[in-house]
Amino acid sequence: MKKYETLLLLDPEVGSEGRQTLLDKLSGIVQRDGGQVAEVDDWGQKQLAYPVRKVTRGRYVRLEYGLPEEKVSELERNIRMADEVFKFLTVKLEDEFAQEAS
Amino acid sequence: MVFKKFTPRKKFCRFCANGDLQLTYKNPDLLNDFVTDRGKILARRITGTCAKHQRQLTREIKRARQMALMYYTATHSTEVRKKTV
Repeated sequence: MKKYETLLLLDPEVGSEGRQTLLDKLSGIVQRDGGQVAEVDDWGQKQLAYPVRKVTRGRYVRLEYGLPEEKVSELERNIRMADEVFKFLTVKLEDEFAQEAS
Repeated sequence: MVFKKFTPRKKFCRFCANGDLQLTYKNPDLLNDFVTDRGKILARRITGTCAKHQRQLTREIKRARQMALMYYTATHSTEVRKKTV
C-alpha cells in the first residue's frame, strides 16, 4: 500500500451536489480496492493558466489516499470516465501508508 | 578616476538555502520565479539553482503545466488572451 495524491480539475459548471457525488464515487472505489482516503482538499474555483475545453475557470480538488499500487490504474480509469473531470494528475507521495483503524 | 570592476552578485540555490520552500507543482507562484515571462524554464546558470533541485524544479514545472496551473507558452495564456480579444 502506497500513499498517493490525485489533483482533479473539475468543470466549474458542475454544482456542489454533482461534485459531492463524484467524490463519493471515487472514495467508494478507493475503499472497495482496499485503500483509504486520508484527505479531501478543495482549492475552490481558480483561473486557469490556459483555457481547457474552451473554459478559463476550473475547480481544483485534491485527494490524498493510500491504495495498493496495482489498483491506481483502476481508479484512474474511473476518473477518465467521469465527464466533469477536465484533467487529473496522480503523484506518489510515499512508499508506505500507515492505515488508520476505522 | 578608477572604475571598480563590475562583480555580479553571487548566485545561490534558493531551495538549498531555505529548507521551508516547498518544491511542488501545487505552488505555481514559486515556480513562476523560475520561468521566463513566455513560460520557458530558466537555465540553472541563470537562476543559480543546484543540479539536484533543478531536476526537481523541471519536473514540478511540467506537472504544473499539465494541470493548467502554469501555461506552456504565453500565447496560450488566459491573461494574454484577455488583452488581445
